[in-house]
Amino acid sequence: MGVRIDRPGLRVQELLSQALSPLTYGALAAWMRFGRRYRIEELRRVRTEFMAQAGNRRGPLLICANHLTLIDSLVIQWALAPWWRFARRRDAFAWNLPDRRNLATFWWWRVLGYFGKCIPVVRRGTAEQARQTLDKVIWLLARGQSVVIFPEGGRSRVGRVDREGVTYGVGQILQAVPATRVLCVFLRGRGQKVYSDYPAPGERFVVSLHGMVPSTVSAGIRGARDLATQIVERLSEMETRYFEDAGVDR
Amino acid sequence: MDRAAALEKVTAIIKPFAKNVEALKTATDATRIIEDLGVNSARLVDIVLEFEDQFGISIDDEAADKVRTVGDAVQMIVLKTATA
Repeated sequence: MGVRIDRPGLRVQELLSQALSPLTYGALAAWMRFGRRYRIEELRRVRTEFMAQAGNRRGPLLICANHLTLIDSLVIQWALAPWWRFARRRDAFAWNLPDRRNLATFWWWRVLGYFGKCIPVVRRGTAEQARQTLDKVIWLLARGQSVVIFPEGGRSRVGRVDREGVTYGVGQILQAVPATRVLCVFLRGRGQKVYSDYPAPGERFVVSLHGMVPSTVSAGIRGARDLATQIVERLSEMETRYFEDAGVDR
Repeated sequence: MDRAAALEKVTAIIKPFAKNVEALKTATDATRIIEDLGVNSARLVDIVLEFEDQFGISIDDEAADKVRTVGDAVQMIVLKTATA
């Protein structure tokens, strides 16, 4: 009787994604940098902070970010580390959870998504579909991988961190893999007013990071709510600081 | 707990989460919590936790997943408070 390999599909995707990460990362970074002329303000500081707060240590890492455009996770990866760091560290190149409908727009998006460690998800799907996605993320984190997740559950329709839409899946993930480190990432283009598909060409992004250890004394869904709420509150605080620094009245 | 009392408390609990407060005023058993009352689907969990706190009952995930209408919620609460 043969040995059953757990989640062979994800294992194969992980290996292929890792092998091709210099190509996929390079192509996407070149598209963002030269095709769209995006810039990340203080890129060196952001990468140094990432290494100090999370990148130097191995183990599961949940990158929790605010969400305004379809390519937020790409910009975050670009901001956090150069391609060669992802090529060297299998766990550093984070998995993403894009909306299945968005990923299906063009065939080459699906290809890039596969090799870019994307797990397509069904937004506002059934409880069973949500559970399947959670199981995959938990499995990946338990293997010491990194995952980018948007606790707001989708692009914020109000243009600010949206507490109304917060789902508690991120809390359930942390309950299932308690060793997971949490890195909150606030990302916003200087010209971004509300949500959109893409940031405008020539956009300049501000990125701030904050490592945190959410905790709760409650179990079950109450505990998950506590954990998720702490993360979203932190993102909201980071957003408030961004607007204060920018001299914008919220 | 009788159905009328449960309905009154259920609508009071849902009120802070409902975007369509007018529909809540005339809510019946058939009123759908998400579609008709404009409750964000992500907030259903908060409503179920509020039911637990307010009625002193425990609601498992399977039962929570079945709550679609005001009537579903009232029925579940009447049954659970009767057996509590």
